[in-house]
Amino acid sequence: MTVLTGRGLTKTYQLEEQTVHALRGVDVDVAPGDYVAIVGPSGCGKSTLLQLLGGIDTPSAGSVELLDTRLDTLDDRALTRLRLTKLGFVFQRFHLLPVLSAAENVELPMAEAGVVPAERRRRAQELLEYVGLGARSRHRATQLSGGEMQRVAIARALANKPAVILADEPTGELDAATGREILNLFRRLNGEGTTLVVVTHDDRLAAEAGRVIRMLDGRIEG
Amino acid sequence: MRRIPHLILLILLPFLAPARAAAQGVLEVALERRMATELGLRVGDTLRLGVAPDSLNRVARVAAIYEPAADPATVLRRELRLRMHLPDLAALLGQPDRVDRFGVALEPGASADSVARTLNQAAFGYRAYPSSQIASESSQTFRVVSRFHRAIAVITIVASAIFLLCIMLLKVEERRMDAAVMRFVGIRRRTIFLALLLEAAVVAVLGSALGVGIAWASGAATNLYYQRFFDTQLVFSLVTPDIVRFSVVLSLVLGLAAGALAAWRLVRTKPMVLWGRG
Amino acid sequence: MELRWGVRNLRRHPFRTALSIAGIAVASAMLLDMVMLRGGLEASFADLLLVRGYQIRVTPKGTLPLDSEATLPDATGLVATIRRDPGVASVAPLVATSIYGRRVAGPDSVVTLFGYGIDPRDQGLYQLLRGADLAPDDSAGVLLSDASAAALGAGIGDTVTLLGVLDPQMAAPAMERRLVVRGVVQWLYDYRDQPSVGTIVPLMQRLARTEQEDRVSVLLVKARSDAEVEPVVDRLRAQLGGAEVNGVADLVRHFQDRMVYFRQLATILGSVSLLVTVLLIGTLLTITVNERLGEIATLRAIGVSRASVVKEVLVEGTALTVVGCALGVALGLVTARYLDEILTSFPGLPATFSFFVPRTPNVVTAILVTLLTGALAGLYPAWLAARAPIAPTLRAEAT
Repeated sequence: MTVLTGRGLTKTYQLEEQTVHALRGVDVDVAPGDYVAIVGPSGCGKSTLLQLLGGIDTPSAGSVELLDTRLDTLDDRALTRLRLTKLGFVFQRFHLLPVLSAAENVELPMAEAGVVPAERRRRAQELLEYVGLGARSRHRATQLSGGEMQRVAIARALANKPAVILADEPTGELDAATGREILNLFRRLNGEGTTLVVVTHDDRLAAEAGRVIRMLDGRIEG
Repeated sequence: MRRIPHLILLILLPFLAPARAAAQGVLEVALERRMATELGLRVGDTLRLGVAPDSLNRVARVAAIYEPAADPATVLRRELRLRMHLPDLAALLGQPDRVDRFGVALEPGASADSVARTLNQAAFGYRAYPSSQIASESSQTFRVVSRFHRAIAVITIVASAIFLLCIMLLKVEERRMDAAVMRFVGIRRRTIFLALLLEAAVVAVLGSALGVGIAWASGAATNLYYQRFFDTQLVFSLVTPDIVRFSVVLSLVLGLAAGALAAWRLVRTKPMVLWGRG
Repeated sequence: MELRWGVRNLRRHPFRTALSIAGIAVASAMLLDMVMLRGGLEASFADLLLVRGYQIRVTPKGTLPLDSEATLPDATGLVATIRRDPGVASVAPLVATSIYGRRVAGPDSVVTLFGYGIDPRDQGLYQLLRGADLAPDDSAGVLLSDASAAALGAGIGDTVTLLGVLDPQMAAPAMERRLVVRGVVQWLYDYRDQPSVGTIVPLMQRLARTEQEDRVSVLLVKARSDAEVEPVVDRLRAQLGGAEVNGVADLVRHFQDRMVYFRQLATILGSVSLLVTVLLIGTLLTITVNERLGEIATLRAIGVSRASVVKEVLVEGTALTVVGCALGVALGLVTARYLDEILTSFPGLPATFSFFVPRTPNVVTAILVTLLTGALAGLYPAWLAARAPIAPTLRAEAT
């Protein structure tokens, strides 16, 4: 049984006069509880693959299925709703809203999902404590360090209890020590049953994964 | 003292008769063009005149149709006027020896002020005014309108200045990443500032030129519209070289000041802050 | 979503936000002033006409009230005819003429005055400030304004000398009367510092030498109710062929014609203000959305809908407009007073007249129009934000 499946995923786009083949017919299966690391050199198509799996980009060919729902059958509203409730995203550059506090950033997806304010405040605090930032919940994102911001981003990704967390270079902007904190957090999440798909250059993160997918020139190696 | 405009004629009833006027007892009148057009009268036509609607007992022949000098004081009132010989009007009004005013032409070198003073010393029932004083009094309306226009202009300039500053700020801040990179590679603050200032100057110059064009076009449109609306040759909007000079200088100054302020804010910010990492 | 990240975004760049608010404030102040000007002219004029409740004016054919020296003959007959109309409650005759007066004390000098002949029982021309009103047949009394009292050096109880037509050949007035000052009044249609005096109609006719023809300048007519004004006007027009009959609505229309320049100016400047508001908010939001495209793409990626993004951008624009508008109303009321002071110095304008009238409907209209404009101005940037493609934007952010 898989929670996330990609079949024949191809992505081609035009860069001025050049045609870029970012992905060339990639197949991926992710089972519940998996910890999958996607590795490869820059420009190999790792982030593109993650974006297709997360439904934030559409493939030129192929299909993605999340929890038995084909993403290409959904309109934008339904796809957005699916991302909100079934997926969690962690980005390299955190992308927290600087005008909101840590807690409010975590609440944001819950507010969008219609969770009542009291419940979402409670859960946001719970998640921040889980990632070790319970005491910093009122601080604005700009008042946090890089590692703290990434942990808030992880808490945000967990807000609506997603089926899968997709992380794109989560330690890319962090120093080694802070990267280790994220590593430990991911280990803990996966240990508690959270399905993770992580794109990374970080060998330590890749080493933690249960399965490593190596990519080169838009294809999976081996 | 409120000046009550002199009575011209209250009642006109066009009476189209053969062009040949009666030899005696027929007055001659000159109609202003708008009146002739509105009443459908031509030279040679006759009409009846009177001081009340039920006493139109004098016949008058249209001897001429004239275009009056455009007078801004009367354009809004849209009155229709005709001219008659003074004795005819006086007789018609039943006041054979009354007039509203005299115009007095002086010998060369005579002072209007001192002649007026002399006349007023002996005056009873009239006053003498130098023409310049009459002109000054009657231009009071336009002075009020001028003050109003100036007040509106000041408000508009303030609003424009704020708007300009805002837009300059936004446009310069859009370049924050470029500015950060330039600082990283060693470009001096002064160089960046002058580059942004030059850009602001170019925008100000082009904007001023466009503004002058728009002002000229809208002035022409204003004149076209109001001249037709009021059926007059008055010029309502005038773009003079002085006005152009003033406006261009002001917009250049405002544009450069806005650009300078926006550029100064940008260059005094640390590069890492501009980059978003500070 | 109640977190209102769009509105809070305004705090990110406080100087920019403050400038935008200032710009909107000035634009909305201008709009408010122009709405007040456009609506105020007619309202102020109509109020002035109705201040004593007389809704109809009868004047010589082809003239407007006190617009010329023309007069109506046989005033007594006319008044009787008009009073017979079942819809008429009262008729107030009015003579308006130039007369003269001698100063009470000091060097003998003739001052020029404006004379009103009125019927104290039915008058729509003045309000008593001090002293007593004239009795209906008081041919020995006179009412002064503050300006004429100062010009004549007279107070209540003093005797003043009024002169009729001055004959320059004889160097003497055609008629002189000594009258006792009964009261000081505010003449409702006088311009500032106009030196006006009032006597009963027959006396002013004598002073103006029009008593033989029983001439008056205007007849003010009060209908029994507002609903009867139009029918009374129609009937009087049919009966009085030699006179001009105008209801307040007609006079306001004539006035609108005379004031067409200000009305059009108000429309043009008001439109320019709205355009400035649209441009300012539209540009500000477009640039800030462009700056935050990465953020917006992330929000879309984590599941925030297009509708939420649009709503937040629109709310951001509306918030700017609300604050700017609130300041603009205050600023507009202040500038309106300043502009009104300028325009009410027009020569010959009644002192009680106002160009900028802050009526609640006008203020509400200006506010609503500004708010709607500000909200709509955010549509394009909101659309930009909603349409931002997620993946390419995130890719661009990563480089």
